Amino acid sequence: MGLSNKEKSLIISLIVTLLIFGWYFFGVFSNVTATSSEQLGFNDVIRVIFLIAVLEGIIAWFFQKKGEADLVDERDKLIDTKSYRNSYWTLCIGVWFILMQLLFEASGPWSNAYHTLVFTSPTYIAHLLLLFFVLSEVIHFSTQLYHYRRGI
Amino acid sequence: MSKSLSNNIRRLRFEAGEMTQQMLADKIGVTRQTVFAIEKDKYSPSLEVAFKISNVFEIPLEEVFTYD
Repeated sequence: MGLSNKEKSLIISLIVTLLIFGWYFFGVFSNVTATSSEQLGFNDVIRVIFLIAVLEGIIAWFFQKKGEADLVDERDKLIDTKSYRNSYWTLCIGVWFILMQLLFEASGPWSNAYHTLVFTSPTYIAHLLLLFFVLSEVIHFSTQLYHYRRGI
Repeated sequence: MSKSLSNNIRRLRFEAGEMTQQMLADKIGVTRQTVFAIEKDKYSPSLEVAFKISNVFEIPLEEVFTYD
């Protein structure tokens, strides 16, 4: 059986997310020595999120237009549950990773050595949080795709 | 040796006047993709959906699904 509209929508959403946020994070993390005025800031994040929201809206409208029934049955709900569980754990791991970074930063004996290893400016911490959020979305889409194709 | 669930839904559909997957899906309240997944043993339906399928074909559950 070919790809259903749901699967096509998931693939396109996944590609759009990877492309846009991949470009964005490449810009952020490829220039880690940038000064605070050179760093990508709040307006850039808003622009990217707005772009993603518009594209996701267009994707949803396009595939709804194709006329596939809007029924969400038990299999869809089960796949949704499993994918949200995986994305939850991804986000949890990310938040704990960042928490540990901040705690090491705050602790006296470790902070000097730590400063030479990682960057803990508020902007980069915010970008790290955003990165883990995006990763959790990618895991969410990927898990759904996997179960729709391979079974559950 | 591990057991697995299998079914005769595809055969039963053809014997029931060549019922399509969409027609069966409409009768039991799931999507056509779910019916396809059940037939291909890629999804084990809930008890409720399994009973609905057996009611559509008017045969006992054990004649639709086998666990071996």
